[in-house]
Amino acid sequence: MKPADRLVVWCRRLTVMTRKELVQLLRDIPLMAFLIYSFTLSVYVTGNGIQTQLRNAGLLVYDADRSLSSRELVSRFHLPYFRFDGELIHADEGFRRLDRGRSMMVLDIPARFHEALVSGEPTAVQLLVDTTNAPQGLSAAGYAARIVGQFGQESVLARNGLAASSSTTVPMIVSDHRVWYNQDQNETWFESISHLLRMITIFAVLLPAAALVREKERGTVEQLLVSPLTPVQIMLPKVVAMTLMILGATAVALFGVMQPVFGVPIRGSLFLLFSLTALFIVATAGIGVFASTVTKNQAQVGMMTLLVVAPILLLSGIFTPMETMPAWVQYLMALSPLRYFIEIATGILLKGVGFDMLWSQALSMGVVGASLFGFGLWRFRRQFQ
Amino acid sequence: MNLRRVAAVASKEWREVTRDRMFLLLAFVMPAIWMFVFGYGLVLDVEHISFVVVDRDHSPLSRDYLYRFYQSRYFDFQEALAGEGDADVWLQSGRARAVIIVPEKFQERLLSGQPAEVQTLIDGTFPLRADITKSYVIAINNAFNQELLVDFLARTRGLSRGEAQRRTSPLGIEVRYLYNEEVRSTWSTVPALIMFSLMVGSPLLTALGVVREKETGSIYNIYSATVTRLEFLVGKLIPYVMISAVNVAVLWLMAVLLFAVPFKGSLWLFIASSILFVLTSTGIGLVVSLLVSTQQAALIITVVVSTVPTILFSGLIVPVSSLSRASQFQAHLFPGMYYTNITRGTFLQNVGLAVLWTDILALAIYAVVLGTIGYHLFTKRPRT
Repeated sequence: MKPADRLVVWCRRLTVMTRKELVQLLRDIPLMAFLIYSFTLSVYVTGNGIQTQLRNAGLLVYDADRSLSSRELVSRFHLPYFRFDGELIHADEGFRRLDRGRSMMVLDIPARFHEALVSGEPTAVQLLVDTTNAPQGLSAAGYAARIVGQFGQESVLARNGLAASSSTTVPMIVSDHRVWYNQDQNETWFESISHLLRMITIFAVLLPAAALVREKERGTVEQLLVSPLTPVQIMLPKVVAMTLMILGATAVALFGVMQPVFGVPIRGSLFLLFSLTALFIVATAGIGVFASTVTKNQAQVGMMTLLVVAPILLLSGIFTPMETMPAWVQYLMALSPLRYFIEIATGILLKGVGFDMLWSQALSMGVVGASLFGFGLWRFRRQFQ
Repeated sequence: MNLRRVAAVASKEWREVTRDRMFLLLAFVMPAIWMFVFGYGLVLDVEHISFVVVDRDHSPLSRDYLYRFYQSRYFDFQEALAGEGDADVWLQSGRARAVIIVPEKFQERLLSGQPAEVQTLIDGTFPLRADITKSYVIAINNAFNQELLVDFLARTRGLSRGEAQRRTSPLGIEVRYLYNEEVRSTWSTVPALIMFSLMVGSPLLTALGVVREKETGSIYNIYSATVTRLEFLVGKLIPYVMISAVNVAVLWLMAVLLFAVPFKGSLWLFIASSILFVLTSTGIGLVVSLLVSTQQAALIITVVVSTVPTILFSGLIVPVSSLSRASQFQAHLFPGMYYTNITRGTFLQNVGLAVLWTDILALAIYAVVLGTIGYHLFTKRPRT
């Protein structure tokens, strides 16, 4: 056989096997229903619902002063950050209300608050913060400190005859923030993108892992082995079929939910986005292929992949910025393709950058993917010898 | 219900689990590994924000101002840029998350009593980080402004510095942190991680157990046996409930010994509600396994149904109160949220049944509902 003919045969076998895999996937109705749910409704609910910034923090007020100033200060704590949960009659009621967990903080304004502000005596308000959720507690305290600080500064200026409105005569730094790429800090954009990536990751690891082990467990792999197919021709179609499936689902999520409903911008090249998404899926599938070769049955492979997928989902920089993690976790996460792809996806969609900015991320992702995949393939072949 | 038959099913299942060494190992090791990795890795503080500066003024005052950013533990200084033009590249490539631009005549304006505008460009792709970066910048600016004002009053009004300081004494705020007095993020994540490990691990364990019998066909032995539906389901669940119960104990020990999280509440309350929670989480696996017929589908559906809501809607990272209404509703549909309240309540808050009874009741209802659904879904006469 001529090399060209061999290539044709190789490709034809690949196509036939890919079709077989696609048919097999499409016949699993509960699975398909879930694929559709995960890339449409689930993306919608999550994009709409998750807010990591402070929202609706329940605030209780104990106002011992009941003056103009104290009321003015309380009125500055408002939605969307703070939700006013009512006034307390007694100062010590606060602890009990916080115990119940409905409210998050108690603002305690001392008596003679107004007088002190007008005369310039030092005075302070007290704040009790529930820190069972530490970051949220800190964030709430930070917002409160900002509000109180601003209020204090205004009263200082007023006291010294420098009204806040005539700030042109006061030497002050005026903060001018520009939040780039997402001016309104629109969380639906980020959350829907990261949810899409989460779903891609789950499906990309789990589908090939389960499919490969299933053939092993049921013994159908023996049938394939007596066929003229090589191990690569058995494994590759599974990955190709799943990549196609997930890419299709991604397109549905992007053009069916994220763009029309949330207005997520696509500032960069679509072609680049989808090619790198395909690379990401294949790289992530490498994890599944690898897991499938070290396990014997689907129960094992399920546990094994979940063991690995959970850290990938939580620690790849989607929930918390990578910068703050301990060094060893950062090294561990260098193995996660998602860690690079989050930068790529937000880069293309929100920043509109091209390959010149993303090549290093893409390269790292490719290297990680190729090593996982290569190792998986090597182990997969070895099983048949 | 014949207890001997239940015991027979349970011991058969237990043998199946223990003979698969790898599965058994993973069932116990997985939650512990997660607790270890997430306990250390899931740091929710925003620190080390990399930033570059453009100082157009090059004056002593501008250096003094920027010095505060170099010194701050929240910011990591990268480079001083010559012009604003390069700022784009730094932000686009993600090497810097913020750019601080000090304008020309910064010192001149401030010393002559005029305001000066400092521009901060912030990478907004990660909203939480952008938001926190903004508050750090404002805090530094406010502190600097306070000093500028003292200087200004001292110079223009001929006051002594002490007098000027007194007259500008800012409104203080004394913050007292409750329950987690040192505001350690591990103290709040670790109790919730007990919930996470169980909520994500147990349903999968159980789901794979039943579907496996369906897929391999060994379920026909059950169909033709005298064992009743209830006996089969209860027997089937017992080993997985036991594994999960052991895991709760291990995770609790890790939280207290390894992460030194204080346990302030009642241990009995924790144990009782943990058992309820284990029943609900294994129950979810049971229901999924009765709905599908392949392990592949069971695997993916359990992961999507249990992992994703657990990460998002259980209060592990994002508090339920700051979710939108629809998501709050969704959060109440999953058992994770209730158990998070219980673990944080018993670990950090020392609240008792008086506060937690609603959460415990919710878990109990959940367990009963799942059990009933499971019972009705399982039939010994499947249509084929």
